[in-house]
Amino acid sequence: MAYAYLFKYIIIGDTGVGKSCLLLQFTDKRFQPVHDLTIGVEFGARMITIDGKQIKLQIWDTAGQESFRSITRSYYRGAAGALLVYDITRRDTFNHLTTWLEDARQHSNSNMVIMLIGNKSDLESRREVKKEEGEAFAREHGLIFMETSAKTASNVEEAFINTAKEIYEKIQEGVFDINNEANGIKIGPQHPTTNSTLSGSQGGQHAGGGCC
Amino acid sequence: MSAHDQNSSVVKKFQQKYWRTKQTLIKVSGRKEDEHVVASDAELDGKLEVFHSIQRTCMELLKVTEQYQRRICNFSQEENELGVFLRAQGSRDKTRAGKIMQATGKALCFSSQQRLSLRNPLCRLYQEVETFRYRAISDTWLTVNHMEQSRTEYRGALLWMKDVSQELDPDTHKQMEKFRKVQAQVRSTKTSFDKLKNDVCQKVDLLGASRCNLLSHVLTTPATPIWMLPRNRAELRCFSLLLCRQTRPGRG
Ligand SMILES: Nc1nc2c(ncn2[C@@H]2O[C@H](COP(=O)(O)OP(=O)(O)O)[C@@H](O)[C@H]2O)c(=O)[nH]1
Ligand SMILES: [Mg+2]
Repeated sequence: MAYAYLFKYIIIGDTGVGKSCLLLQFTDKRFQPVHDLTIGVEFGARMITIDGKQIKLQIWDTAGQESFRSITRSYYRGAAGALLVYDITRRDTFNHLTTWLEDARQHSNSNMVIMLIGNKSDLESRREVKKEEGEAFAREHGLIFMETSAKTASNVEEAFINTAKEIYEKIQEGVFDINNEANGIKIGPQHPTTNSTLSGSQGGQHAGGGCC
Repeated sequence: MSAHDQNSSVVKKFQQKYWRTKQTLIKVSGRKEDEHVVASDAELDGKLEVFHSIQRTCMELLKVTEQYQRRICNFSQEENELGVFLRAQGSRDKTRAGKIMQATGKALCFSSQQRLSLRNPLCRLYQEVETFRYRAISDTWLTVNHMEQSRTEYRGALLWMKDVSQELDPDTHKQMEKFRKVQAQVRSTKTSFDKLKNDVCQKVDLLGASRCNLLSHVLTTPATPIWMLPRNRAELRCFSLLLCRQTRPGRG
């Protein structure tokens, strides 16, 4: 299907926080209470519209288990957006955020937009992490923040779409070099500025600089 | 169609072997393994340490018990001979010292018999520990070996997955096909490794508990003869002291 832009997303966070369920809710609009453990990575895609433009979100749902950590690091490369997820009913998943953030910052491009997500907001009675704590963490580290529920679908659309809007704004501001695929953005085939070198050689014509 | 399937399964087998061998080489050559993979096995490795310590200390206990038993035999024999000698000498000596020598000789002979009776409980201890080693430890050892094989398979598959993850584009059919194949391999090796990991942890816990049981059972039974020994020694010391005191004025 034709799109103006393709954004690569990556979903990260401890195992069991609901990453796969968030993806399923976003792409299929359903909740599956028992989800297979993610092995390495799973993929999802959906079209959204921003500013009248069709944007394809290509989502990489990574495995949170520690044994996959070195593998999932290679998935950060070329991501334009990241959803960093914790579980509001498990304090330890919140405590690990710093490690995840360091990992993400170290292995991705510096412009990557990171959305912090406190998932399972439907389980209010079992809440261990206050909403204010999530907000404070996001403010301190310059992230966008939302509480979601993959079960009730509350804020799920918003989380994915707001991240895309942020990326889109950065493109408009010229922060993202859209011709460099390492930024996680591809221009669709029908886009006016497309030229033949884009999808082929990595980096495009702006990357090399001095070389003739 | 089937020829193609066969072909690709041969290729898959070959690749599996390649990554397993690579993992084996990393392990054998002591090269640094993926720290996250190692960290995720921390509990298992802790249990393995307990297992090796049980294994080692059981062997040591067997060795020490054997030596103890042999030395008791030797000692008892010497003690008995000394006793017989003292009694013989004492019977020739008509003085008070002779009487004491005879009494000491008697005590030594008695003590040597008592000492010998320690051998039974020691033999029992030896047998029970040996049975424990032969049955329980070797059974756990087999499971540990299976687990290690499966761990190598799993870590090999992880290496493979890391390799194909370097170049991955979900919109490229060929790459995805390859990735799915590797993912299936990781999934199946992970399933069997997780199961064996769990088995090992449970077996080691059980092994520790049953060794505790075994030792507390065996060590309470022979308590009586062990307690008798110091009393005899004390008696012996008493006699010897008497002997010294009595002979000194004679010399002077
Ligand atoms: N109540 C509730 N449960 C959730 C929610 N999201 C995920 N779960 C449950 O959390 C568990 C782990 O979800 P999963 O998506 O596999 O986590 P992942 O390891 O991060 O991919 C599953 O049993 C889900 O049913 C949520 O928003 N609300
Ligand atoms: Mg998952």
